[in-house]
This record gives sequence, structure tokens and C-alpha cells, in this order.
Amino acid sequence: MLKIKNLHAYYGRIKALDNVSLHVRAGEIVCLIGANGAGKTTILNTISGLIPRAQGDIFLKEIKINGLPPEKVVAAGISQVPEGRQIFGPLTVLENLELGAYLRFKKKEKEPIQKDLEWVFELFPRLQERVKQIAGTLSGGEQQMLAIGRALMARPKLLLLDEPSMGLAPLVVKDIMNTVSALRDSGVTILMVEQNARASLKISDRGYVLETGRIVLQGSSDDLLNDNDVKRAYLGKDYKTFWEGRDLA
Amino acid sequence: MRFWNGDNEQMDRTDLEQLQLEGLQSTLNRAYKNVPFYREQFDSLGLHPSVIASVEDIARLPFTTRVDLGDNYPYGLFAVPLRDIVRISSSAGTTVKPVVVGYTKSDLKARYTLTARFLTAGGVVDTDVVQICLNPGLSNWGRALKEGAENIGASVMPMSHMSTWKQLMAMQDYRTSVLLTTPSYAMHILGAMKSMDMESHSLALKAILVVGEVLTEDSRHVLESAFHVDVTSGYGPSDVMGPGIAFECHEKKGLHVSEDHFVVEIVRPENGEPLPPGEIGEVVLTTLTARAFPLIRFRTGDLACAMEESCPCGRSLARMSQITGRTGEVLTIRGVKVHPVQIERILKGAREDKSPRFLLHLYKENYLDMVEIWLQMGDNIFSDEVKMVENTLRRLRQRIFQTLGLDVTIKLMEPSTLDQYAVPTGGVIDDR
Repeated sequence: MLKIKNLHAYYGRIKALDNVSLHVRAGEIVCLIGANGAGKTTILNTISGLIPRAQGDIFLKEIKINGLPPEKVVAAGISQVPEGRQIFGPLTVLENLELGAYLRFKKKEKEPIQKDLEWVFELFPRLQERVKQIAGTLSGGEQQMLAIGRALMARPKLLLLDEPSMGLAPLVVKDIMNTVSALRDSGVTILMVEQNARASLKISDRGYVLETGRIVLQGSSDDLLNDNDVKRAYLGKDYKTFWEGRDLA
Repeated sequence: MRFWNGDNEQMDRTDLEQLQLEGLQSTLNRAYKNVPFYREQFDSLGLHPSVIASVEDIARLPFTTRVDLGDNYPYGLFAVPLRDIVRISSSAGTTVKPVVVGYTKSDLKARYTLTARFLTAGGVVDTDVVQICLNPGLSNWGRALKEGAENIGASVMPMSHMSTWKQLMAMQDYRTSVLLTTPSYAMHILGAMKSMDMESHSLALKAILVVGEVLTEDSRHVLESAFHVDVTSGYGPSDVMGPGIAFECHEKKGLHVSEDHFVVEIVRPENGEPLPPGEIGEVVLTTLTARAFPLIRFRTGDLACAMEESCPCGRSLARMSQITGRTGEVLTIRGVKVHPVQIERILKGAREDKSPRFLLHLYKENYLDMVEIWLQMGDNIFSDEVKMVENTLRRLRQRIFQTLGLDVTIKLMEPSTLDQYAVPTGGVIDDR
């Protein structure tokens, strides 16, 4: 579905991504884990065209999409759910969702949009209950659902999820993760960035570990959950001193 | 058609290339970060892992040799802290120091997969009785094969020190269906059966899988027609890696490389230049998944060529030919890698002899590799008492067995006899 080769990205003169290659197969949930500033969000932003100064190749189903402006990337089939939700606070839930289908609205796909709206409400019954409510007054978890719902309204082949659990209570995190899992079951392919490595690895098929803009490890989620390096660095386990003082920095 | 993990063995080539690129880049990032040897090698050439934009770019990286392994004895090339290592396996190596290879839990898991692939391709299934007959020098492989066969669910008889006669008895009475051994030991068993007037139909064998040595088409043919079985082979350098790096399928036309775990290159031995398919050169291996012991462009010393055509078996994994020989001085004796210097060192140590003069005579007896050390007679070994001389020779033989896992005989020679062979000391007379 998605193939990235040798991605290099810069913020000014600072190199944020250094030769990153990764892939996502259709129907998979793949997660990117790593510390703050490792480059996880940069990867998503580069895919969605928000960081134009990037070198490397990004293919969506064998079609090269790097260098495309964000709206063309959305049209090609990739929607991003940004970090911190970024919903339109003063608008209603319904208006937010309709904006997600903006590109299709212009193409006059009225009926399919209505169908997708129903699909989103099926996934998130809570949103249907609050369809007329002002989005800014929703709870954190509901706002996250709305952000995901809005992205789905563009009928993406690939959904990019940036920190869906951020700032949410543990129970709500579980809810959101279950929803992400259900989304995959309904046929959406997902690339997810998460600080909460354990929660995201539990629902994903594979993962990549990023360190200072480089991928240092990849594998099935089971393998990563059981990996000593990952446990030490990201799952908060086993902090004792390392052999001969060699550390992982 | 049988596969152990068909998804990877039949993967689309462009997907496989992506997988290799990702594996290579992250392996280099880890090696550069965690192994000072690799970092220094890269830095001295002004290279950084980020220059690798395709699998072909691997040719820009420096080689790793057996000398590098010896120099970094014991843990210098480990890329994880020792506490993450669950197995330390050591082999004699070909320099002063043994070669020490570490495995993490995930490395062992990968090794089970690789050996299981080789065994499955050779026809092993969960209902088989698998008998492993390897010499002690290949005990690391014996373990890997045992684990692979157990992983498949077969009933496994691990390697033991039984005599050939006992092995044959077990093979007959336990209804062994798969024999895992070296080509020469398989031939040796065949010879033993003939001398015992034992018929092959008294055995339940259905397949023989061989490792460690070159399987020639002649011996394959002899074994297949004598035992009425399929004979397939697996490949790996016995001192540093497992036996399933590459393996034959039932087509028996070359070895499929487990490319999802390794990159194989064939290079010209003299200058390291890459060679096109069909041309014989040295096999160079790079690990893509190893955590504890990543190897970057390791020069195996084995000669083979890459094959281009795809295989009718359905595996998309590329193939290489059978090993056709060795570069340089490292010998393969009963599957064990031996450098003449190792024997010289033992002779020096045991006899307080600064410069022992000796030749290695290799020959076949009952299809088995035999080693005879022709040692020049000298004052320090000569004694009036025959017993004393015998004791010295026995001690030397023991030392060699303990270090290399090889049984040798030692013959004392007059200097004039050795002179007849225009070979410098430590030279090899290979009559195999």
C-alpha cells in the first residue's frame, strides 16, 4: 500500500529524518514508536505533504506522491488525523465531518457522502448522539473520535494517526485503541504514531523504532513487545545499568 | 509444494527488495551505534549508514573477515549488552582466537525459522523421525538442526558419539525417516551397510539432508539410488552462522538464499569486485535481522556463483550454486573449517618446538575425510623409549581433537621424506 524509500527531511538546517525506509501493507496497522523528537510526526507530515523540503521516494500503491501538495495527497487517498485533534471548535460535529468530505463534496458525491456519514456514526455512535453539539464542548476522547471520523469522511485508503491517545485517560485510550482496531477490520489501512508504545503495539501488526531520525529496529509487534531494547527504552522496564556501561544513546 | 513460511519464501520481488532495504538500513544504524569496530571502519572511510539508498549500495561498505572476528574476541562485535544474550556459541575459528557468536532470544527464533525452512524444503514433516549424525566440530549446527526439526514437530534424535554401527542400528530399529549428516558421512554409512550386508530396504529412510560439505552431483546420485531417497543440501559458514542460510528445494537446482534475513553477494576474491550471475566468486554475507551479532559483508571464503532464472518450486528467493571450493588457505574437513596455522600452533605449544615442520595430508577413507599430520622427526620428540614417543603423539592428537573437534593421525617423517614434497611447512597435500 505505502512504500517509503530513503526519506530525508529537514527543519531549517536540522536534519529530522535520516534515510528512513518503511512500508505498510494493505489491511495492516503499523506503528512508529520512539522518543520525543525522534521524527515520528515528521514522517507523517512528510507523507501528507506538509513538509515540502524532503528527499526520497513515497509511493502509494506504486504511484509516487512525494512533492504533492497536501490536498492532492488527500485526493490520492491518504488522510491524516493530526496530533492534538485540531478539530474546528466553533463548528458542530456534523459540520466538522462534512468538512472532512470537502474534496468529494466539490465532486458532487452527495449520496456516497451520506453513506459514509452513516458508517462513521456506526463506528462512533457517540458522535451521532451529539451531531448538533458544538465540537469544542466535546470531551477529549470524543474530540479524538471526531478527528478520526472527519479523516474517514475523505474515504482514505490509508489513515495516518498522530498520537491518538495523547492527553486521554487510560480508559479512554483503551476505547480509542479498540476503535482503531475496529477501523482496520472494516478495511482501512493505518499508519500510527504513538508515545504509548505498549498500547499501540498491542493493536498493531508491525512496528518501527525511531531514534534521532533513523530507524534502528523493525519487526512484528509481538517481537518488539518482547524486545529488551524496546522494553528498556519505551516500555519503562528494566532500567538497571547496562553491561560495561555501554548505553543505548 | 511445502513451505515453512510461504509468505516470505514466495514474496513478490519488489516487496522483498523493500524488506531487504529496511533490514539493511536498520542493521547498519544499529551496528554503527553499538559496535565500535563497525563505527571505526565506516568513519575511516568517511562513510555513514545513511549513504545506503539501495541494497546494491552495500558494495560501498568495507568487508568483514575472519581476522576481524579474531581481533574482536570475545565480545567486541556484539551489538547488544551481554545481558540480552541468551546463547554464546564458540567455534575454533581460523585464527589464534576462537570465534564467539552471541544470540538473543529473537536471534534464536530467527534461526529456528531458517533451519525449519531448510528441513521443510527437504521434505521433513511433523511425523518424521529425524536422526542427526554430525561430528563434534559441527555441534553448533547439530543444535540448530535439532531445534529446527523440533520446531517442525518431528521426533528428533540429536547428535551423539555413537559408532557408525550403532547409528545404523538406531536408524533401522527406530525407523528413522530422515538422516541429517554430511555428504561424506552419508557415503561412509553406505559403505558400512555394504560391509554388513545390510539392505537399504530394511531402513525407513525417505530423505537425506546434508550440510557442511560440498554435495557433488555424483555423490547425490550414488546416495539417491542406493537409499532410494531424495538428497538435498543446506548451506552456511559453519563457524559463524547456522546451516539454513541457503537451502535446496525438491528441484535440486541450486540453493535458495533466505534473502529476508541475509544479503548474499558474489565477489572476485582478489579485489572484492561484484561478479555477475554465472561467474564463480567468493560468497559474501550480510545479516539483515541479527540483533546480537550483525555481520556486514562477511567474507565466507566459500566459492559459488549467483543464479538468475526463477525456480519452478514457487519460491521467489534467489538461488546460488552449490559451493564449488574455497578461497585461500582455510580448509573444510568433515564440514569443519580449519586453518593449517591452528595445527601449527598446537604442535608448537605441545612440543616447545619453535618451528615444527609438518605437512597436512588429506585423503578419503570409506568416504570420510581423513587427516594425517606428517611431522618431521626431531630431537625434542625423539626418545629411546617408544612409549615416550607414543605418549607425545597421543597428547598432540588429543589437543587437536579438543581444539578442532577432529580426529587426526600423526606420522613421524624423516626430513628427507618431507623434502620430496615441494611444499612449505604447514602445506596441504589434498588427495581427496
